Amino acid sequence: MAPKETIICIGCPLGCRVTVIQDKKGNVAGLKGAECKQGQKYVLEELKNPVRTLTATVPTGDEGFPLLPVRTSLSILKTLLKPVMVETARVKVKPPVKAGDVILKNVKRTGADLIATADWPGSTGEG
Amino acid sequence: MASRVDVAVIGAGPAGLAAAIAAREQGAEKVLIIERAEQLGGLLPQCIHNGFGLLYFEQDMTGPEYEKAFIAKAMSLGVETRLETMVIDLDAERGITAVSRKHGYMRFKPGAVVLAMGCRERSRGAVGIPGTRPAGVLTAGTCQRFVNIEGYMPGTRYVVLGSGDIGMIMARRLTLEGAKVEAVVEIMPWPGGLIRNEVQCLHDFGIPLLLESTVTFIHGEERVEGVTVCRVDAERRPVEGTEKSYPCDCLLVSAGLIPENELSRKAGVELDPVTGGPVVDQNRQTSVPGVFAGGNVVQVHDLVDWVSWEAEAAGRAAARFADKGELKAAAGVRVMPGDNIKYVVPHTISGREDVTLHMRVTQPGLKATVKAGGILSKRFRSVRPSEMVVLDLKGEALKEAGLKGELVVDCEMRGGG
Amino acid sequence: MPAVETEILIIGAGILGAATARELSRYKADVTVVEKNVDVGWGITKANVGVVCQGRDTLEFRPEYHRTRLLWKALPLMEPLCKELEVPFKRVGAYLMIRDQVLKEKLDKLAKRTESLGLGADKYYPYPELKEKEPFISPEIKGGLHDPEIAVVHPVYLTQALMENATRNGVKLMLETEVTGIRADHTTFTVLTNRGEIKARYVINAAGEWVDKIAAMVGADDFVLFPIKGYVGVLDRNCAQLAGSLLAVLPEEPGDMNIVVPTVEGNLLFGIQLQINRRHDRSTTGHMARLALRNARKLIPEISEKDVINSFCGYLMFRNFEIGWHECEVAMSERVPRFINMTIGYPGVSASPGAALEVVEILQRDGLGLEPDPGFDPKREDIPDFSLLSERERKALIKRDPRYGHVVCRCETVTEGEIVEAIRRGATTLDGVKFRVRPGTGRCQGGFCGPRVTRIIARELGIPETEVTKSGGASTQVPLRTKQLLEKGGADG
Repeated sequence: MAPKETIICIGCPLGCRVTVIQDKKGNVAGLKGAECKQGQKYVLEELKNPVRTLTATVPTGDEGFPLLPVRTSLSILKTLLKPVMVETARVKVKPPVKAGDVILKNVKRTGADLIATADWPGSTGEG
Repeated sequence: MASRVDVAVIGAGPAGLAAAIAAREQGAEKVLIIERAEQLGGLLPQCIHNGFGLLYFEQDMTGPEYEKAFIAKAMSLGVETRLETMVIDLDAERGITAVSRKHGYMRFKPGAVVLAMGCRERSRGAVGIPGTRPAGVLTAGTCQRFVNIEGYMPGTRYVVLGSGDIGMIMARRLTLEGAKVEAVVEIMPWPGGLIRNEVQCLHDFGIPLLLESTVTFIHGEERVEGVTVCRVDAERRPVEGTEKSYPCDCLLVSAGLIPENELSRKAGVELDPVTGGPVVDQNRQTSVPGVFAGGNVVQVHDLVDWVSWEAEAAGRAAARFADKGELKAAAGVRVMPGDNIKYVVPHTISGREDVTLHMRVTQPGLKATVKAGGILSKRFRSVRPSEMVVLDLKGEALKEAGLKGELVVDCEMRGGG
Repeated sequence: MPAVETEILIIGAGILGAATARELSRYKADVTVVEKNVDVGWGITKANVGVVCQGRDTLEFRPEYHRTRLLWKALPLMEPLCKELEVPFKRVGAYLMIRDQVLKEKLDKLAKRTESLGLGADKYYPYPELKEKEPFISPEIKGGLHDPEIAVVHPVYLTQALMENATRNGVKLMLETEVTGIRADHTTFTVLTNRGEIKARYVINAAGEWVDKIAAMVGADDFVLFPIKGYVGVLDRNCAQLAGSLLAVLPEEPGDMNIVVPTVEGNLLFGIQLQINRRHDRSTTGHMARLALRNARKLIPEISEKDVINSFCGYLMFRNFEIGWHECEVAMSERVPRFINMTIGYPGVSASPGAALEVVEILQRDGLGLEPDPGFDPKREDIPDFSLLSERERKALIKRDPRYGHVVCRCETVTEGEIVEAIRRGATTLDGVKFRVRPGTGRCQGGFCGPRVTRIIARELGIPETEVTKSGGASTQVPLRTKQLLEKGGADG
């Protein structure tokens, strides 16, 4: 038996809990619990391609601005969130950085770049 | 202040920035933002997650990106700022007293004031969690500042009390940063934040959301060693015999936000006990002439986009007030919350111009119809207290209705929550 | 480690230890104080609501009791002492009230006794008159006896000031020094601590909650102590108008203490139903909190749960609970010469200056020659409180040190200048700063200022932020750096 999966629709405040019914081969045979057509569409897409934008920070070594906020340029597979996070602890950045600058290209082969979401002009002096 | 300030904006968060920009665009010469923190943006710099600007810019932005767009605009318009400056007094004649390390002690009277102080989190003390008083109990927002800005983590294993948006977003952040979040505990039968956050912050990471539950005890001498979680009954009282303990070294409290109105009180601004914010008219003018308010200081919004829009209205009106020394009354009609409506903002409207009403329902429900008098009714597939309901009323329709005195807003439901 | 030698060793820097140290610092004596916590006044002193009682507010102060004598000795001393040390002291007055007209008799008896002891004539106000004085009192109150002398202090501020002044006058203070054992011979005590041995001729045991345990180390434990605790709620300053005086309901049963207390800072405290407790248990339960709120609302119906900004555990040590709470112990042990036990229970803070005097007398009677020190300076200057200053004073202060222009804690208007000064005077932790200059005690409870105070402490002490603690030991505020857990996880991920 294929395991049943429940997906919560985020289309509206209703938050339908949609149960995905699968046949023996694991194909989607039906959906139960979606109140509307858009919800069904969302759930099917979420099943096929569950992607998220990852936002995080990377260390700068600058005491006055220890972390630079970053995001992935595209949504990436949910399963790749953790491996990309591990990368954020390793990456070395140098100032100056402008919001939108690429920090890591094609990070963890997700197809997405890690890009800065804020400016980091660099330390203007000690303290 | 050497020269006259036309509009002084207190707070440089999304509300303050938007109000200052709007005031300049409306023609105010000198617009000054006073901010207690070290940088502009309020809480936006620490909100590194996305989900901002979907309505305002029709773009999915992070907090720092949203902030940057407003700061750039404010700077290009010549908005002036004073950072690390605390307004310690505001009087009923708009007199501002502020202090800072750099500029010392300042007193001045601007042409108009916009209150944009935002809101604060309810603390452990305010929530009244029993138990010992060790290190490792902090609000979700303070934790967010430590983790995303200061570069420190308050613990490795967490329980989050309250499923407000910040609590859920922090549950995800901490998990992504390698910590373990044991559970998010919510006293109500429904989550306190947006569905989107419930799914993408909790569900995605397998973090349990314990509804109708609360933390009934904090354990630990020097550091938190764990918490006891209990189910609650219909009166939200812990049910004996349902205790379950969760070992953890940190308890995050995300149990609601309170508009920050200490200064408003000093100025004698009338406050609404339900929203916790000032009573405002359509122009976002408070009960004190020339003092306007916008954003979370008025009502706690779920989306920053609405904070910006609301503050813009306040900023524009403040600029007009600073110019003319008064404003045409925009308070002819009182807006009253009716069935299943907790509050409506603004509290009064002109009854002539277009207006947007913000409101929250008391009880969640399905197939809801929100009615503003006989003027407009709008249907919602579902409503929840955690998601703000917004109604746009047309000036034409209002005039046609010829409102006398008040407008009651009701929410009818055909299905339970 | 070479042994520290001292003439007089005081164990415990709570209110009693600090008051005694400061009293002894008037003389040319070699005095050392050991304290196991990282700061002073953090034992049961911190768990006290700070009422300076006048010995006439309950039927339990009989003239023959030792603690009554200590309290009377202390009564004229407290206000001048606070003035000398610049510690806030507020004579708020009190109403002891009844809900049942039948109890009026008891109040009359109390008033009569007060008068006969020459302590003053307390006036009874029936409800309508009482309401004029305290407009928020519940109409269910029938009337109250007014004691105009009752005052409030902050017990921790007082302890800090006493200790600051004592060390300035030559007393040595050793923090984070825990006594683990005591050996006695005919002339000297050898006190074992986590920081090595201390040799002393006299030992003054003012260990607060642990007085009996310390006494037992040397066989001077001819008394038993019971911990008593109760929930104390703290109300927002917005509620200050709800009570101008200390309001109390005449107890109908022992432990039945229902009071609302204005603090020196302008908050109101409420509580406290007392109960026998396990040793060292400072936890409060939801039940205690609900009961306290319900009781407080019987006094002042307008007190609301919404205005409770914090709570703490009131905590006292009582001696010989089973035979009444009456006797205290401020005496040289009959079994162990030169070993003095100090424990008062209620009213420990109010009686502390009297107890300190008594210890000096005990030492003199024992033949210790105490010669006045001509260099003794009784004065101590308080840390400036920016929130209370006039505009002119504020301007002058900021001009002298711009850090006083940087408000770090919005709720209480606390400046960086005050925080730095608190650290200079010995605060090394978040609670240490909080219990000196109040950042984080207001309605947001440190939500905004917490990270900033952490940073200032780290900077001033020259330690990493990861080592800044709430209250010493393992209570670090932020034990890790962001990314530290990922670096570890990186190995297997």
